[in-house]
Amino acid sequence: MTLAPGRIVAIIAVLVVIFLQVPVIVTMLAAVSTTSYLTIPPQGLTLHWFAEVLSDPEYLKAIRLSLILAVSSTTLSLVLGVAAAWAIHSRALPGSEAIASFLMAPLVFPSVVIGVALLQYVSLLRLYGGTGVLIAAHVVITVPYIVRAALSSLGGVDRSLEEAARVLGATGFEAFRLVTLPLIRPGLVAGALFALVTSLDNVPVTIFLLAPGQQTLPVLIFSSVEHGVDPGVAAISTIMIILTGLILLIAERRTGFHRFV
Amino acid sequence: MIIRRRTGAALISPLALVLIACFAAPIILMLPTSFREYLPGMGITPGSWTIDNYAQIILDDYYREVVWRTFGLGLLVTAIALAIGYPLALMIVRGPERWRVPLILLVVFPMMLNLVVRSFGWIALLANRGLLNNLLIDLGLIDTPLKLMFNMTGVVIGLVHIYLPFMVLMLVAAIQAVPRDVEAAASTLGAGRIRSFFMVTLPLTASGILAGSILVFVLTISALVTPRMLGGATYRVLATVIYDEYMQLLNWPGGAALAFALTLAALVIVWASGRLAKRWGGMA
Repeated sequence: MTLAPGRIVAIIAVLVVIFLQVPVIVTMLAAVSTTSYLTIPPQGLTLHWFAEVLSDPEYLKAIRLSLILAVSSTTLSLVLGVAAAWAIHSRALPGSEAIASFLMAPLVFPSVVIGVALLQYVSLLRLYGGTGVLIAAHVVITVPYIVRAALSSLGGVDRSLEEAARVLGATGFEAFRLVTLPLIRPGLVAGALFALVTSLDNVPVTIFLLAPGQQTLPVLIFSSVEHGVDPGVAAISTIMIILTGLILLIAERRTGFHRFV
Repeated sequence: MIIRRRTGAALISPLALVLIACFAAPIILMLPTSFREYLPGMGITPGSWTIDNYAQIILDDYYREVVWRTFGLGLLVTAIALAIGYPLALMIVRGPERWRVPLILLVVFPMMLNLVVRSFGWIALLANRGLLNNLLIDLGLIDTPLKLMFNMTGVVIGLVHIYLPFMVLMLVAAIQAVPRDVEAAASTLGAGRIRSFFMVTLPLTASGILAGSILVFVLTISALVTPRMLGGATYRVLATVIYDEYMQLLNWPGGAALAFALTLAALVIVWASGRLAKRWGGMA
């Protein structure tokens, strides 16, 4: 029997999509299973691990630090990144292209290199373990996503609209705030979402800057896995899977997120 | 000009200063460290400079093996991601319209999902007492667990999973840019679907293939979390060795030299591919 080429492509595509969801499914199964090692079918179902994780002060502390870092670094990146992108887009300075490449540079440097460089830097300056240092580090790794999203959204805005606003008496900032900003908002939401996820996800930079006892959620999971597969880790992972899925669906509904990736 | 030069400088300088203070300065300050001498247990010898840290990356068998392994892994993961990503990208662009958005979201969802969580999922599946081995033993197909983790198998599976979405999205953009007319023209001229794909569509997406491959390759050679979680302490790559040099051996000069070697490799590859893409673009 021979298959049409189109059908073979479709079969491979479906298999690949399933492959992409495998760890998600396995993690969720592990989270509700009573045994610490997974079997199919699961031997018994329980929500016990969720209760355990959500009452564990170590996890709660890590979740808190992760959220503080993600929200503050994304907010800072948005403010700094959009301002810089607007200036680059307006060609207000010579060498805009070189400046843009510098702002995007953290994207091409391996994270682990940024991590060890910062580790040495903060120990030199004796700033080890400060939340401010962590926020600054997260701004460095999240800001390229904002700059990229802002520049590509600004590229799609007709510049004469902003000039028209100026002619009608708006100040430069008013023209930006009232005309350009609403037009680039969907792109910025997508960029901010990427920044948020990047911060919440980060291990290779964060792990070098944490003081002993200080943990972010992914770093905590990363280090507990060294001691073996733990259903508590599966439970907290499942919570993150559900939250990620919800954020993605809401973003898709609100902004047509798939157009920005 | 919508905004003046002085306003422009005021808008850019806060971010530029943050990046100079927290990105450029730390990396530049790491450069002298990579030329210092390190004695195990004693720390950095004051006042002496050396290029041994760089020389050992090429001359020492252990480091050389790690470098080869890292680059081999990069090639393998890139090849697999391209081979299984292309059909999926083709399906997203050329398949039924109503499948498009769900398929894209199913590709983006694992990409947005925490890296550590994803590696954990693979551990639960691939471990000696993981789901797959338990299943195979229960079915009586094997007696002893297959070794799927702490070796190349586990790391390749995990890395392909993590970087495949990047490849697919790059390929989707490239395939979308190919006008359907050229394929129609090819079939009018008598080419079958397979022939028109290999002679027309595939060459026209070459720049997307290159861009996706470079991205996946560079991300793979700098990956830390997945090789550490699925490769363990035995299967080491450049990033995990840098991590160990800094955090366990406290050999900062050695780690810094490795970090610069890795950065140089990544930058050269990105730069060379940019040149290559430009030349191709000029020819087309």
